[in-house]
Formats: sequence, C-alpha cells, structure tokens
Amino acid sequence: MLRINTSDTHYRDVWVVIPAYREATVIGDVITDVRAVFPHVVCVDDGSDDGTGEAALRAGAHVVTHPVNLGQGAAIQTGVEYARRRPGAAVFATFDADGQHRVADLVTMIARLRTGDADLVVGSRFAGGVATTTPPLKRFVLKTAARLSSRNRSLGLTDAHNGLRVFDRRVADELDITISGMGHASEFIALAHEKHWRTVEVAVDIRYTDYSKAKGQPLLNGVNIVFDTLLRRRTTR
Amino acid sequence: MNWIQVLLIASVLVLLVYLLRSRGSARSKAWVKVGYVLFVIAGIYAILRPDDTTVVANWLGVDRGTDLLEYVLIIAFAFTTLSTYMRFKDIELKYTRLARAVALQNAQTPEQT
Repeated sequence: MLRINTSDTHYRDVWVVIPAYREATVIGDVITDVRAVFPHVVCVDDGSDDGTGEAALRAGAHVVTHPVNLGQGAAIQTGVEYARRRPGAAVFATFDADGQHRVADLVTMIARLRTGDADLVVGSRFAGGVATTTPPLKRFVLKTAARLSSRNRSLGLTDAHNGLRVFDRRVADELDITISGMGHASEFIALAHEKHWRTVEVAVDIRYTDYSKAKGQPLLNGVNIVFDTLLRRRTTR
Repeated sequence: MNWIQVLLIASVLVLLVYLLRSRGSARSKAWVKVGYVLFVIAGIYAILRPDDTTVVANWLGVDRGTDLLEYVLIIAFAFTTLSTYMRFKDIELKYTRLARAVALQNAQTPEQT
C-alpha cells in the first residue's frame, strides 16, 4: 500500500470532498484511508439519518451536514464551497463515499494537476491501459454516453460519469453546480466546456464491491440525467 | 338562459374576484390580470352565444366550436404545466442554496488539526 507520511507538507494544500448519503457503515474506513495520505477531508453528510456525519467526524473529517437530503450534486457544491474558504486550500478533489475509488489514483491525478497544464483532471475507467473491472453493460452505456456528448468529445473524454476529480483553485472558485441530483457529472463537464477549464483525463480503476454496486445508480437513471442536462440551461439563472 | 350558463358565468366571476383581490408584486402580475379580464369577457360571451365559437372555428378550418376550445385548452394546459415545472426548478435551486448556507454555518471541525 501507499507509504506517505501524513505530516508530509506536500499534501497540506489538498482538500478532498466526500459527499455521503447513508454510508455510516463504510464512511469511517474510507475517510481513514484517504486521511492516511491527505490530512484535509471534508465530508458532506447529505441529510443522512444513520449517523454518517458522526462516523465521518470520528474518522477525522470536517463535516458539513445538509439539513435535508439534496442530492449528490448539491453535496459536492457544498463541499467545494466549504473547502475553498479554508486557508491555504489550493487543490481540490471529489471522492465517492462508498469506497469504490482508490487513494492511489487520487495521488496520480494530483501529480498530473501539479504539472500545471490542466485545471481539471477527471478519472476515467476507459482511458486505456488499465485492465478495467467495469461490468460489460455498464461499460457500454457509459462509453456510449461519453461519445454522444459533443462536449465530452471536444474535451477528449471517454468516461461520462466518474466521481473522481481533481481541480485547482480556479475551478473551485468558478464551480456552480445547479443540478442537485446525479446529472451533476454532465454539468461538471458542461461547465468545463463553458468556462474553458483545461481538462485532462487520467486512467483510474473502480472497485466494484457488492456494497458499491448496491449503492450505485441503476442504469435507467441515465434517462433522468439526460433530461436534467437538457433542461439545465432553461431553468438556471 | 340555461342553468348551465348561469353556473359557468358565476364560477368565472368568482375566479375573477379571487384573482383581482390577490395583491401582485410586479408589473408582470398586472398584465396577467389584464389578460384574465379579457379571458373572462371572452368566456362569458362564449357561454351566452356558444354558436359563435363555431363561426370562429370555421374561420380556422375546425368543424365545431367545442373542438376549437378543446385544442386551445390542451395548449394552455401544456404551457401551464411547463411554467409550473420551471418555477419548481427555480424554487428548488433557491431551497438548495438556503440549505447549503445553513449547512456551511453549522460545519463541524474535527478535534485535532
């Protein structure tokens, strides 16, 4: 596993945002894993009723609690708004609470961001090279969705919905997610396009455990995502 | 005059009173009221002389006045549904921002740094 000292000042400017809804059983371990490398974690408890917030706090994360359940997009926005007010925050990351992402991938992505030629680094299950464990049907749908979106194509992205992202101060300041539900991943990419964030992709792997599969969104939810995205422009601002 | 005509006119007038009593905030509300008064006038006219709607329908290439009214109703309903949906989305966004402000004010920090 990773052997990086927490007191290492290298990652003191990094804030990891973890949106969580009813993840009490796993959130503690996930945060402990992340904090083994990154000292600053903010967990947004999206109105859970199972003690997710307390578990996160015990694991050493900052906790921001939505008074009502708002959705993952809203939770990410809240987490980023919290993190960007922290003194010294320069690098921001989003990380899923269900334990499907690997901290090692986060390290790679931050190293990529630090080369300085990108504002936003998104994780991709399909960026090539990595032996991916994504189930075949899910892979087909996600890849097709990524190809259908003209924005994805123009940014050269291959994965439509990946919760692992790393970005700099500029993106954090300009971020304004208005789709509260699962459509936020597309909105993130739409914002990258509109605001001309330099976006690159890094190959990551996803651990499809029984737990994360049960928590993950059903493919049918893709229909909702398409509608949310189409309506976004007309309903905001 | 038929009983149905009396009932329809009465209900339209009650709706009109309700609308005019509500204190709107902006100028857009005033236009809604003007539009509604016009609608009431047209409505009462159509109730008293139902055959005239058939004349208008014929101008537009529709056989019966009832059919014309049905088409207008469908379109109006679609517009209402859409504008209600938009309004809900708008309110949802405000509600999200309000909840976020509350959440950020009550953020908890862990004991150690």
